Amino acid sequence: MKYLDIAMNTANALGADYADIRIQKTTDQTIYLHNLSLKNTSMDTIHGYGIRVFKDGAWGFAHSHVFTDDAVAATVKRALEIALLSARAKKGAGLVLAPERSYIATYKTPVKSDPFQLSLKEKVDLMLETNRMMMNYDGIKQAIFYLVMQKDEKLFASTLGTRLDITTQFINPVVTATAVMAGDSQSRTFDDGGRAVGWEWMEEIDFTAKAKQLAEEALIKVKADTLTEEKRRSLILDPGHLGLTMHESVGHPTELDRVLGWEADYAGISFATPEKLGNYKYGSDIVNFVGDNTLAEGLATAGFDDDGVPGQKWHIIKDGILNEYGNTRDTAPQLGLNHSRGCNRATYYFNTPINRIPNLYLLPGKEELTPAQLIADTEDGVYIDGRGSFSIDQHRVNFQFGGDFFWEIKNGKLIRPLKKVLYKSCNPEFWNSCDAICDQRFWRPFGVVNCGKGQPSQTGRMTHGSAPARFRNIRVGGSQ
Amino acid sequence: MKKRFEKIAEYVRQHVKADDYTLSIHAGDSHETRFAQNAITQHIAGQSMQVELSVAWGNKTGRCSINQTDDAALTALITQAEDMAKLNQPDPEYVESAAYAELPVVDNAAPATLSLQPEEMVEIIKQSIANATGQDATVSGMTEKHHPHFYAATKNGFAGYKEYTSFGHSMTLKKGHVETKVSFESKDFGKLNLAAQLDQLNSQLGALNEPQNFDPCRIPVILRPFAAWELLMFLGWMMNRRQADEGMTAFTDQLGKQFLGEKFSMLSTLKNPDIISDPYGRDMIVSRETPWVRDGLLENMPCPRYWAKMKGLTPMSMFNLYIPGGDASEQEMMNQVPRGLIINRLWYIRPVDMKAGELTGMTRDGVLYFEDGKVKHAVNNLRFNEIPHAATRRILALGKSELVDSGVMLPTMLIDDFNFVDKTTF
Repeated sequence: MKYLDIAMNTANALGADYADIRIQKTTDQTIYLHNLSLKNTSMDTIHGYGIRVFKDGAWGFAHSHVFTDDAVAATVKRALEIALLSARAKKGAGLVLAPERSYIATYKTPVKSDPFQLSLKEKVDLMLETNRMMMNYDGIKQAIFYLVMQKDEKLFASTLGTRLDITTQFINPVVTATAVMAGDSQSRTFDDGGRAVGWEWMEEIDFTAKAKQLAEEALIKVKADTLTEEKRRSLILDPGHLGLTMHESVGHPTELDRVLGWEADYAGISFATPEKLGNYKYGSDIVNFVGDNTLAEGLATAGFDDDGVPGQKWHIIKDGILNEYGNTRDTAPQLGLNHSRGCNRATYYFNTPINRIPNLYLLPGKEELTPAQLIADTEDGVYIDGRGSFSIDQHRVNFQFGGDFFWEIKNGKLIRPLKKVLYKSCNPEFWNSCDAICDQRFWRPFGVVNCGKGQPSQTGRMTHGSAPARFRNIRVGGSQ
Repeated sequence: MKKRFEKIAEYVRQHVKADDYTLSIHAGDSHETRFAQNAITQHIAGQSMQVELSVAWGNKTGRCSINQTDDAALTALITQAEDMAKLNQPDPEYVESAAYAELPVVDNAAPATLSLQPEEMVEIIKQSIANATGQDATVSGMTEKHHPHFYAATKNGFAGYKEYTSFGHSMTLKKGHVETKVSFESKDFGKLNLAAQLDQLNSQLGALNEPQNFDPCRIPVILRPFAAWELLMFLGWMMNRRQADEGMTAFTDQLGKQFLGEKFSMLSTLKNPDIISDPYGRDMIVSRETPWVRDGLLENMPCPRYWAKMKGLTPMSMFNLYIPGGDASEQEMMNQVPRGLIINRLWYIRPVDMKAGELTGMTRDGVLYFEDGKVKHAVNNLRFNEIPHAATRRILALGKSELVDSGVMLPTMLIDDFNFVDKTTF
């Protein structure tokens, strides 16, 4: 495309040390169904380009939605002017970019059935039927089906000579039933997060069974008991719950920009500081976390990041020890590294890329172990499924999590449903208390599509995953 | 900009065939400079544009948006929205677009912000960095300027235009293991007193020497304005008329009752020149002086147009927020209780129990323990599980209201028996 050449030629002519252009068209289709009312049926298109110029050890970023030769050249010039302004407030010689080679490549998310090609009616009919089934239950006062489909089409060029043509997409269904009864209101939600797949995933999900399950479990939950005292118990956490816990307590602390203090004013910093690399006991020996931007169906799998660095796979925690961070071309050299792990991603064209959590998952246990065996082996605990309340301090040490559905475990059996369960823990106590992980047959992905970070705030996406895992001696109780 | 919007609106008016439509346009110019560890790390400038069209054939609806404004793009937008609505299922809760309304006259664009140049913003950052390096500390923050414009028009005759300016400068100062933060947020850059901000920042940092262990308990707190806002913004969010009527929140059956503390009032206002006041809010609801809570009495709750039509109510929108303060200083608050904590900021607040209105979150950026009217020492950060509407019933004193966001003003609050449930290691 000619705008790529105009941008790169202009940047070179102006003397940029490095520059890139990302032309990005993001198309979202959202359908939001609330009690059989289509509150939002929409298609949003955001199309423009962002240009980064690196000059004298500092960044400038300018963006525009005007597609003319002059506008592209003017945007490059503005980015350069901003970089020069940034260089007035740099530390020492400024930032350094990790070396990278050039690539000419194409990447496209593999989809069997593109949801953007399907009729609106087909999607809405499925959602209405699911909604209707839940509303048919006495006591269910609110039924929600929220469906987002997003496609990102990017053209990327850099002064290294890289030319990339990348199309990624994902789909994210969320279904909720809310029961109102006896002075309480409780919801039950199906939310495995987003997946980088097509409509074929929706066809695999049995929404008839889901509607029945969610409505019935919401009615069980609203009448369920609460835990009256906080005490140390075992926790068995389902992948649909553990995904968020690992996101907050492992994913964010191991982003190198946070470690360096670049997020100090907003999202915070990290307890997992560089002197801990290679020696800090983050988790028990069976805890292995892998960063993997090559993961099939992963939301951060795009072939390359927005630095033009290819997707990679590496251990972030290996046998319980903090092994390596997720980094970018401008953060890696701060630790003396000469190679980026490819974690720089922007949300829309008008966002500058920032250091993001990669696809990050807990490896399954090596020994055969089923969830049933894990429950049978637990004397006093709580099984938690799904996302609930979540909160963590700005150094990523202390956290409190709720969940979506809870069962009390006594002497190896699920004895009663619970509601309003909370657990409190911290790093490194939590991951060091992990004493069992089910095997790979039970590993499931969990996609995050709305990870808020940065100023101005961006919503990133990445996939986590795990098999059900057990954590011993955690403080578990109820809300007020 | 308004004329450009009106031209787009006229094109849409002439070409939409659907029974009804609502057009919303947003354009803006932003400059955002981020700094960390005493250097600029990110620096962004650009203009944005969004044209959003909602249409209806009967009660079948569709909404599309684009960010291109040539005739071909607008034609494609109209066609896509109309096709989407035709193919959609009927919406039983559809409500027709807003009708013509007289809008209040507001002035939210400050000349000093409009004329602010990027070079001046970098100079502010350099002064902030110099302040940090002068005391062997690091500073991180964000300096930003925004000038957005909005326009809305409907088939039924509603037409509205609004613009505002905003300027922000935040600084997190870190030395050793302690850190603290100040922020300035206003529509008017001319009101920034950087020297005063730096003095406040340095004073806060100086008070944080040698933090001591503090175990969680119920204890009086002095919530500084940003901390109070971080907690009470959830109150506004949970105060939803429909959800209350449907039994889902703590506000169910509380309208007209003394549900909050008698020292607590909350309103949306067009009369305070320091707060951005939109002429119309969400759902094209015309802004009017609205008391939400008066001396603890729950008088109104935000209500979308559909629910208002269903229930025969007046649609209401929380277009800004003003919580009137008192005249108590922090010292007077410290004198009022035997001991307590001064909280600078709260962080990562999430609902724990929607029906009860219970939230959890952490303190951040400096917690001070006081006793017998004097600050004794800093303490570690703490986790709270607290119910905001219940906390308003425990307000013992209010300070002077301050701007914490371009559209929000509220005071420092002394709240009794704040519920801390856990602590962290720093």
